[in-house]
Amino acid sequence: MSLKSFSRARAIHLMLVYTGGCNGCDIEVVNCVLSPKFDAEQYKVFLTWNPREADVLVVTGPVTKFNEEPLKKIYEAIPEPKAVVAAGACALIGGVYKNIHGDIPSEEIMGPVENIIPVDVKVPGCAVRPQDLLSGVVTALPKLLNAD
Amino acid sequence: MVEEKKPNKQDVIETEISMGTVHPTALEPYRVRLFVEDEIVKEAEITIGVNHRGIERIMEGLPVEKANSLTEKVCGICSNAHIWNSVLVAEKGLGIEIPQRANYIRIIMEELERLHSHFLYLAHGSEVLGHETFSMRAFYIRETVMELLRMIGGNRVQYGASIIGGVRPRCELNEMRIQKIAEGMDDVEKGITKFADRFVLDPIVMSRIEGIGVIPQKQAIKLEVTGPTLRATGVNQDLRMKMKEYEPFDFDVITQDDGDVKSNLLMRVLEIPESIKIIRQAIKNLPSGSVVDRSWEMFDCNTIKSYIEVPRGTLYHSYAIEDGRVRNSVIRTPSMTNIGAMQYACIGDHITDAQLCIVQCDPCFTCTDRAMKIINL
Repeated sequence: MSLKSFSRARAIHLMLVYTGGCNGCDIEVVNCVLSPKFDAEQYKVFLTWNPREADVLVVTGPVTKFNEEPLKKIYEAIPEPKAVVAAGACALIGGVYKNIHGDIPSEEIMGPVENIIPVDVKVPGCAVRPQDLLSGVVTALPKLLNAD
Repeated sequence: MVEEKKPNKQDVIETEISMGTVHPTALEPYRVRLFVEDEIVKEAEITIGVNHRGIERIMEGLPVEKANSLTEKVCGICSNAHIWNSVLVAEKGLGIEIPQRANYIRIIMEELERLHSHFLYLAHGSEVLGHETFSMRAFYIRETVMELLRMIGGNRVQYGASIIGGVRPRCELNEMRIQKIAEGMDDVEKGITKFADRFVLDPIVMSRIEGIGVIPQKQAIKLEVTGPTLRATGVNQDLRMKMKEYEPFDFDVITQDDGDVKSNLLMRVLEIPESIKIIRQAIKNLPSGSVVDRSWEMFDCNTIKSYIEVPRGTLYHSYAIEDGRVRNSVIRTPSMTNIGAMQYACIGDHITDAQLCIVQCDPCFTCTDRAMKIINL
């Protein structure tokens, strides 16, 4: 294990990007990291809002038309190695807003997230449960830590 | 009383600081443009529209029952309020009388939701304030409420309690659940009392929030601000007082005088015990009987309107029913009218306080994004 991975393993930074869901998953993710009940910070997982600091990108929501470009930019701004966690039914299949995982083109919803950026881990649920999100993030960790 | 604030529209303000649409301090995507002179905000402009998903269009033509459960996906914070109001529209049009027990359970759900929304507001507000300890504390108390909601509805965010004619049978309250709610309310009351004591007696926090982001009462009424944000400016207006669903309950309407960030935060802190009061009355006097009455018939109706008081203000739903399907659906969420207040609150304050001034009006831009235009604001 290189020094980089060694230090990364002690401070995993999550970045939450919100692409137009209903706020439910969003608050559950923040709740999962910040609230004392779940408290991901005790496992050395921190919430950040700066893409250049982030290791794991958590995306919620079906990607609306105006959120497509910002999402791509944020993904590109995150340094390698990076992992993407798509959280919630909207991020996975477009939720109730898209024609449930159909391929009929929609003018408003560009999602699911897979169509725009590569996704490593999918966490289901409407809204995601904090426990599920934690295990989802843990599943993404080997990719980060075994990178070099 | 605070004098009227007016943006100076004649002069050209050269310095513009814009944030968004994706920005660290703002959880939801929205764009705010602050026009500043010497770090003092002279004018603010909030633009939404990034989150447009067209949920009213999706509702169009769906069966009424399906459309009702879809409205829940408008907002992840006040999800129960949306489904409740949507069901109320159908019940009003079809003339359905629901069992009293169902009404009580709906009230319990709504008040629990008000609790969690207010705690979220306090947590988010404290975080923007830069005080993470208070934020964590509010999140911790909120978790008790979330557990109760999960117990009754089966899910932490989208509970889907109301259906036409009552509530879902899975939301039936038995002895054990009532006992758990009673215990939860004791915990929440204990928590909020401690939180309020520390919050009010903390001189650093008070000096940070006192007297900034003032919304004068006159302008709040002119902008048709609703909900706790209006009551924080001293207007005694709560739609719960006029709703027939709330008739059996005894509670007070809290008002504050100043309309600044302090009044807004204290407003939520003081509203929490009132909600606890309502829940305690509801579980004490819970009527017996069935929770759902399915003996209703569908027929066509013209546009039906319904207004209810939700944690953030006044919610409006309306649609017409044709062949058992929804037509001309319109939803107006409270943040739509409160955006005006957010813009006014920023004026005259330091630029570092601008985010706090926006957050004080309890914004939920996600549920507000609908194809709607406010003219002559």
